[in-house]
Formats: sequence, structure tokens, C-alpha cells
Amino acid sequence: MMRRHLVSLASSVALLIGLGLAPAAQAAWPERPVSIIVPAAAGGGTDATGRLLAKQLQDIFKQPFNVVNQGQAGGVVGHTNIATARPDGYTLGVIYPYAQYKLLGQADINRDMFTPIAQYNFDPAGFHAPINTPYKTLKDALAAIKANPSKFKIGCGGSCGGSWDIPVSGLLIDQGVDTKAINFIPSNGAAVSLQELAAGGLDFVTASAPEAKALIEAGKVQPLVVMSDDRIPAFPNIATVKEQIGKTFEGGAWRGVAGPKGLPAEVVQAMEKALKQIYDSAEFRDAMTARGFGMRWRPSADFTAFLKEHEEFTARIMTALNMVKK
Amino acid sequence: MVQLEVILTALGLLLQPYTLTVMLAAAVFGLFVGSMPGLTATMATALLVPVTFFMEPVPAIAAIVTASAMAIFAGDIPGALLRIPGTPASAAYTDEAYAMTRKGEAEMALGAGVTTSVYGGLFGSAALMFAAPPLAELALKFSSYEYFWLSMLGLACALLVSPGSPVKGAISLLFGLLLATIGIDPMTGFSRFTFGYVQLLGGLSLVPVLVGMYAVAEILRYATTIDAPATLPQKKIGNIFAGQWRMLWKYRWPVMRGNITGTLIGALPGAGADVAAWISYATAKRFSKEPEKFGTGHVEGIAEAGAANNSALGGAYIPATVFGIPGDSITAIVIGVLYMKGMNPGPTIFIRNPELIYAVFLSFFLANLLMLPLGWTAIKASKQILSVPRHTLMPIILMFCLVGSFAIDNVLFAVTVMLIMGIAGFLMEENGIPIAPCVLALVLGPLIENNFITSMMKAEGHLLPFFERPIAGALGVITILVWLTPLALWLWRRSRWRAAAGA
Repeated sequence: MMRRHLVSLASSVALLIGLGLAPAAQAAWPERPVSIIVPAAAGGGTDATGRLLAKQLQDIFKQPFNVVNQGQAGGVVGHTNIATARPDGYTLGVIYPYAQYKLLGQADINRDMFTPIAQYNFDPAGFHAPINTPYKTLKDALAAIKANPSKFKIGCGGSCGGSWDIPVSGLLIDQGVDTKAINFIPSNGAAVSLQELAAGGLDFVTASAPEAKALIEAGKVQPLVVMSDDRIPAFPNIATVKEQIGKTFEGGAWRGVAGPKGLPAEVVQAMEKALKQIYDSAEFRDAMTARGFGMRWRPSADFTAFLKEHEEFTARIMTALNMVKK
Repeated sequence: MVQLEVILTALGLLLQPYTLTVMLAAAVFGLFVGSMPGLTATMATALLVPVTFFMEPVPAIAAIVTASAMAIFAGDIPGALLRIPGTPASAAYTDEAYAMTRKGEAEMALGAGVTTSVYGGLFGSAALMFAAPPLAELALKFSSYEYFWLSMLGLACALLVSPGSPVKGAISLLFGLLLATIGIDPMTGFSRFTFGYVQLLGGLSLVPVLVGMYAVAEILRYATTIDAPATLPQKKIGNIFAGQWRMLWKYRWPVMRGNITGTLIGALPGAGADVAAWISYATAKRFSKEPEKFGTGHVEGIAEAGAANNSALGGAYIPATVFGIPGDSITAIVIGVLYMKGMNPGPTIFIRNPELIYAVFLSFFLANLLMLPLGWTAIKASKQILSVPRHTLMPIILMFCLVGSFAIDNVLFAVTVMLIMGIAGFLMEENGIPIAPCVLALVLGPLIENNFITSMMKAEGHLLPFFERPIAGALGVITILVWLTPLALWLWRRSRWRAAAGA
């Protein structure tokens, strides 16, 4: 009985101190635990990178950084909650390609709702065919699709309008392919599309090389291209767009840290500095590489500019594909 | 075939001190839950999910495997001593076991429970280990058409094997399918039945629904019934292993038949340990040389059914790991956990992470071997376990339910969902509507919908491609026959009845 009183007394005192200090102590951010919203279920790639960051942020700031998984509705819920959180620096989040939510009429999420802090990851899109495909290179595939687009079924490696099919569609459109005639097939994640590809149900699938790794190694899937400027170290045998058709084309999934709009400048600065320190650490680099994640650093200003690019590119491609709702 | 290397890596993953400790704790938990009447193996699994949330994949699944195997066995203990089955899987032979206890053969009844559970469990594990990889090789050839038919077949089985009235089973199934449509539709992004709640956009999370339907419903049922506290027979329990070898040898064929039936029934979607035990008890009686002894305290039926309910556990993991289609209500939960751990079930997991999936298979063997010493201990301690006051236990379980549901998504909304589903589950069972078809439909619903829509998009609206690929064609015809046979039989009987009445 006595102990219970003491505990409640102690917690009330702590609460009073907390209330009293909160407005005055902004400079000392963070003075209490920070929530990192990850708009993905526990166990996936986004969750893994979020947890890597949270662990090291905790070591740097000496405060708990708690990962909160909100993967419902393909990330709509998590992104909405990051954007609408109180801009006090105690709710931040991991964001990834989101422009399609608005275009598909699911939720109005745009860059003005965020304070971008830094981008830490980029995974180039890939384009894959079954192992017995007659199209062994990007050039062959492009020529065939261009000649007869309605003949082809392309799996989106997730819901269509996502990280992988949008850049690939962009490449096809720039090559003069009538993409509206192509039969794009959505799926519940890249693994499902790739299995469908191996089973002979699809002609091509857009997904990253690490996602296709197991089926490539098992000799079931033939990768055609990696959509980055340079070949990626983990897959030295997959050629880039530039090598194959002489044109630079980069696109894929990215992940970054952001908070709601109106985040205090000192929080942004402190976080940007800490994230850069983590990004440069061997521990982070090794963990990312081991899981097949690409590294890409964009500080706050560049990340903000990149989000504008992301929204405009997605809108252009989805309009061309007739995917925009309303 | 599998390389030895993979098995050794898997063994290395399993034989970690941490994993072993987790398995031991899960075993104690499973034994406790199983021997508490009313608390089922499925409920033990549902309550474990939030705890496994923070673990690596192998200990997480191993914990569930161990707890469910122990719970199925432990259900025999109150069955033999109190004539109350600890879990529905023991219900088939509870009267028989109690009759043995009254004849003073409690040791034999309980011993048969342990030894046949271990034997059946090991048989189911071996079946899983050897049947799953070749099936996975075949499953790699499955496209959306084959998956569509397979999940429709699963749905049909869920209905066919549900106990009681088929109409009530169908109501439960349709309710599950309705629940499965809540949220953003996976293909076109249209939101359904969300009533403006952002929390419903992602659909109902499986764990709160399961915890509600299996645990909260049971708590409500306890609260609404007044049971006199059970009185234990005062007699001390002697050596339960005496004479077991002779018993196993004498009934080697019935027990082997139980093993095989159990594994097959377990692999069938929708039917689990309880159905396997009922069927095996019936076949034991049907083919016995001394059927007149059944019901008077005869060990033969206990041996066959006791082996069947534990081998069903391993069998259920075959479709669950290979196709992502649950074999029973426990694997319906396990599939959710596999997704959470990034071990997405399906043939590719056998290529991508063979060592993880083999570690899971090996954990079956270990769990069943652990059952010998731990089962013995549980029987020795049965007096203490069975005298835990339930009015203290139930609130603690409710607290676990609340915390567990919240922990999965970190939203309070999940707790609301769990409580509502608890009331729904309670009302369903009170009215004789089984819960299992609903839960299976909730898991199979999105699978059917995704594969149907993908197939329709690929086929550009035509139905013929659903039958064009050879495996798809065969599965399609089987599925349609399974769905139509009961209807045809009913029509045939009715017309015969009409003709008879007219003549």
C-alpha cells in the first residue's frame, strides 16, 4: 500500500515538473521520449530501416526513440499521422513515396504538410522477366512492348502507382510506348508479383533487385535492368539503363525522416546533424548493405526540393497512365 | 532435396539459449492454458502473439508451436480427472478417460495421453518436414488462377467440416467474409465499410479479432455461468509410464491410423485437432476387435484419438507454410505472425529462407520431445494447476487481451475492435454458430479477392482462362464439385421424397 502511494506521488511530481518545464525547455530537445512513426507493418524493409535509425538516435540523444508501426492502408494512415502530429519534435516519422495517395483520391498528402529532415535511402527500381523469356535485355523488351503494348501483362510489384511501376512507366513513356494499352496488374507486395512471374502468369514485373534476389538466384527470374546511375554493388551483373539504351534514367523507392509542418528549427538542425552522423557510421552502412538497402544522403534543403520533384514526376506519369482519380 | 547444410544451420538457429528458454516458458504456458477447462490451444496462441512481437522469427514461431502442442496434450488432464475437456481437442474421449479414472486406471489414461501425444506429434512433424518442401516446389508453378481455386477449396472445406448445422456454419463463414471486406480494397484503392474512420482504412487487424473471439468470448461465457468449483479425486497419481510400451505395441495399428488421419485432417483447411480426434475416436471404435468395451474405460480409443489430435498440429502447417492457407484456426494466427516477421508464407520462403522454415519444422520435434518430461510434471502438478481460482485468472487474461491488442498496432481502436469481436464471438457461440469458419473466412477472404481480381485483370474479363492452365483446370473442377455436391444431394433427396410422397 505504502509503495503504491509513493509511486503515484513520484509520478505526479514528475508530471508537475514536466508540465512546468515544457514551454521553457525547447532548446534542450529532446527532454522526453520521441515517437518515430513508421508507416509500415513491423518486419518489413521500412520498419527495419526505421528501427536502425531509432536505435542510434537513442544513443546520440540519450532519450528513447520509440518506433510506432502504422502500416494500415498502404501507409496512408502513418503518413497522415506524421503530417498531423503536434510540431513539437516529439513525433517524427519515416516517409516514402506518397504522391500517389492524393492522385488516387485516398488522402491529400503533400510536401507542404511535412518538415523534411533528411533522406537516407534510395533503392533503384528494376525490371524483371521470367527465366525463359525471349527478351533478355532491356532493349529487346522495350522494342517488343513498343511494337505491341496490349500483348503484355506487367506486374506492379505492389499496388499500381507505387515505387516501382511509376519509374518504369516513366521510362516506357519517354521511349514512346503507348503505356495506356499495357495491362498493369497490381498485387499484394513484390513477393506475390514475382512468384506470379515465376509461375508464368505475367510477362514482366517491376520490383527492386534485392526483392527479386531469391528467385534470381534460384534461376526462376531474369533481371533486365537496374534504374540507377551506376550498377549496384550487390548485383554487379545487372546493367543500368544508360549502358543499355544510352540514356540516363534513375527512379525507385526512397526513404527519409520528416516531421509535421512547422517543426522548430533547432529540432531540424539537431536531427539533421545526428542523422548525418548515423549515415556516415560503419554500423549503419553495414546493417543497410546486409539487408540489401541502397544508401543515399539528401540534407533537409535537398530533400525538400526532391519531394517537389517526386510529386511532379508521379503526377506526370500517373496522368499519362490515366490513373488519376477525379 | 534439402541440403544437410540448411538443416544444420536451422538446428543452430533453434538451439540458442534464448530460443530454448522461450520454448520452455511457452511450454509451461501451454500446459497451463490447456489444462484450464475452457481455455483452448487457439486462445493460448492468440495470447502469445503480442509477446512474440518483440522476438526474432525463430523463437516467435517456436513459442507458438510449443505452446499449442502442449495445450492440446494438457487438455487430456482435466478430461481424465474432472470429466471436463481442457480443450475441445480432448472432448472426443473425455468420457472414456474419466471412466478409466473411476475404474482406478487414471495412470493408464493420462500416460496414454502423454505417449500418444508425443508419438502423434512426432509423426505430424515428420510429415510436415517431408511433405512441405516437394509441395512448395509444385506451388512455385501456381499463378493467381490456381491460388484462387485453392482458396475457394479451403473455404468449402471450412464449411464442410464445421460441426453442427451447415446453415449456421455458412452464416459464420459469410460474416467472416463480410469482415474481410472492410478497409481499402487492395486492388483499386476504394474504401469499403469504413464509415469515415481512418482506423478502419487498413481493415480489421487479425490479432484483435482473434483475441476477442477466442479469449474475450470465453471470459464472457465464464462470467455468465455459475459453476460449482470442481472437486478433484483425492487419490495420488502413480507412475503414468507403467505399461505404456505394451499399450503402444498392442494398439500400434490404431495409433498409426490416428497419426495418418490426424495429419490429413490437420492439412485440410478448416479442420483441426478437435475434428481429427472425433473422427479418430469413431474409426477406432468402428475397426476395433472389442467395440463393446468403448465407453466403459477402454484405452484403445484414447490412444488413437490422442495421437490424431497432436499429429493434426503438424499437418495444419503444411498448407500454411506452402500456400499461406491455414489448416486450422491456430495456423490462421501463425500466418499473420509469419507475415509480421517478414517470413511471408508461400513457396518462395523455401528458397529465400530455407533455414528459417526448417528451424520452425525442427522446433516441432523438439516441442514434442519436451512433452515427455513436461507432460509428466504437469500431471504430477495437476492438483495445484486445477485449483487456481478462475475468478482470479479471468481478469488477468482480460488484461493480457487488452494489452496485447493495443501492442500490435499501437492504437486504442484495436482494443475497441477486440471487445466488440468478443461480444460478437460470445453471441455466436451461445447461438450455436461456430467461430472457426468466420476466422478462416477472414484469412481466406483477401486471398480469394486478390487472386480473383488479379486473374480477371489478366484474363481481361474472360472466365475461360480460369480453367486453361492444367492445374488450375483440375482444381477448378474439384472446387466446383465440392461446392455443388451437397446441393445436388439435397435436390436429389428432395425429388425422391417428393416422388415417394406422390406415389
